[in-house]
Amino acid sequence: MKLRSVWKAALLIVLSVCLVLALFFVGLIAFILRVSQADNAWNISMTRVSEGLGTAEEGYPFTESGYLREEGLWAILIDGESGDVVWQLDKPATVPDHYTLTDVASFTRWYLDDYPVLTRIRDDGLLVVGCPRESTWKYTVYMDAETIHLAPYWTAGMLLLSLGCVLALAALFLRRWFRTEQQRRDTARSAWINGVSHDIRTPLSMVMGYAGQLEEDETLPRLRREQAAVIRRQSQTIRDLVNDLNLTMRLDYDMQPLRKSLVSPAAILRQGAADLLNSGLGDAYSVEMVIPDCPPALEGDAFLLRRAVNNLFQNCVRHNPEGCAIQAGLRQEGKWCVLWVESCRIGSDSRAVHPAEEADGGASHGTGLKLVQQIARSHGGTARFRSGDGHFLSQLFLPLSRR
Amino acid sequence: MAYTILIVDDEPSLRSLVRGILEQAGYQVTEAADCRSAVSACRAAAPDAVLLDVMLPDGDGFSLLSRLREERDLPVLFLSARDEDKNRLRGLGLGADDYITKPFLPQELLLRLKAVLRRVYGSREEEEVVRLGASEIRWGSGTVRRADGSEVSLTAKEYALLKKLCANRGNIVTVDALCAALWEGPMVGYENTLMVHIRRLREKIEEDPSHPRYLLTVRGLGYRLAKEGAG
Repeated sequence: MKLRSVWKAALLIVLSVCLVLALFFVGLIAFILRVSQADNAWNISMTRVSEGLGTAEEGYPFTESGYLREEGLWAILIDGESGDVVWQLDKPATVPDHYTLTDVASFTRWYLDDYPVLTRIRDDGLLVVGCPRESTWKYTVYMDAETIHLAPYWTAGMLLLSLGCVLALAALFLRRWFRTEQQRRDTARSAWINGVSHDIRTPLSMVMGYAGQLEEDETLPRLRREQAAVIRRQSQTIRDLVNDLNLTMRLDYDMQPLRKSLVSPAAILRQGAADLLNSGLGDAYSVEMVIPDCPPALEGDAFLLRRAVNNLFQNCVRHNPEGCAIQAGLRQEGKWCVLWVESCRIGSDSRAVHPAEEADGGASHGTGLKLVQQIARSHGGTARFRSGDGHFLSQLFLPLSRR
Repeated sequence: MAYTILIVDDEPSLRSLVRGILEQAGYQVTEAADCRSAVSACRAAAPDAVLLDVMLPDGDGFSLLSRLREERDLPVLFLSARDEDKNRLRGLGLGADDYITKPFLPQELLLRLKAVLRRVYGSREEEEVVRLGASEIRWGSGTVRRADGSEVSLTAKEYALLKKLCANRGNIVTVDALCAALWEGPMVGYENTLMVHIRRLREKIEEDPSHPRYLLTVRGLGYRLAKEGAG
């Protein structure tokens, strides 16, 4: 998973957490508000009812009968000493007119003749307001003090646990989603590059083939043959680019298995230099080898290492069209075998920035060096590039063979 | 007698290009655009070698290779735009003699075809003679005929060395490649022995071995057999 995807995933997870928390609290607040504002019988104000009821001396005048009837409620006042009902409003017939201490203890906790009731203690007795049957669920809860004390912590703990589960699930889902997306993109990209590479090869064969034939045709004027040679050379550059692009992609997506064996880096360097000279290098270029008498050996994929070295040599020529002195060599540095290729521009003109500095790829010039870096990394090594004042030094650090 | 080559490719312009290259080099050419006509052409023209594309309209080159081999045991070179290792290995694993990836240079195609033909029908070329100034190398007898008319024999190592250099005439052949052509196993410590063989070879092919005109040393890299008339 690339860094950008990780950031994206982290952002999504943080957003998910915020969303979960926001939903939880909004839901809680909405529930509380709804319950408190609901127009149900249980929410009536007992203070208002009690204040609306006068005393025995006044003959129990009651001003809130409209308020109670609107909610379908009934009310009684039980005398504190005798237990008799001394005042009532719309009392159902089944509700008794006299109460003992046991009855009072029972209905204050539970129900009075299946009616859920609210009570309020007054100086002259107990005011009881009854709600319609099955309108309210009433249950007495007992809890020891320690449980009540721990309840907030438990609630917070459970909330965090739930959040953790949600996050883990979200992370799993996102990871899978990213992986699927990545695979889909990789497959599409590799199919596209393979397709383009395949489709470009046949027409390029025609260009290279006919240009090659024209170049060899001795009946043509020299100028025409030289022009054909330019076409042939440029076609070869396109072919090399296509090959590099293909190999870069395969190394990027681990599609290129390493076929490791004991290889001689000196032989690879010599072959790279010989290939360069055999390709018809002009007199403006010179190649010198600096190889020790007992060159080190390493374990690697000979094909890939040859490709890397060829790219380094080609890089020297491509970016020094006026000619250059090329030196290549080999040395041992600790556990590393260092293959190096250095170009020194003839008649050094430093006005142009050396394009080979773009070793991180991106630009078309950088493809070759990016491939070199990838090959070095696939062998557990690295590639370093340094330039300045008409010089360009490429170094491949590869682990020495333990054999 | 010229070799007959069968080109199997569904791309007419590519067939035309390859036909031109091969005919210019003295080969006879016959063409097929698909598997079915390739089998018929193989029966009718009895080619000496086949240049085979991998992707064909009515099948793939890999299965066609097996069918052609059922008809006749002849050398087959794949000429494909598919450069993946698995295709190359599959083709070579099925017994193809070479796998050339498009795009290719005409010279590259001719050299690789020639190498395969030499390997399979070596006897037709055995009598070929290579000239090095006034000297002549006669592969058939493994001898060098010198300017004064005398003949000297080449040892097995000198013969192999000269073959390798002649096959790459005009190009630098590294000491590693020469050692690999002469000896098997890891190429360590053979450089000095190689120098001895080179010196002896120079004594046989050069007029003045101290100032060689043909078998040239390329310092730090290897040797080059100069082309006729070149320095």
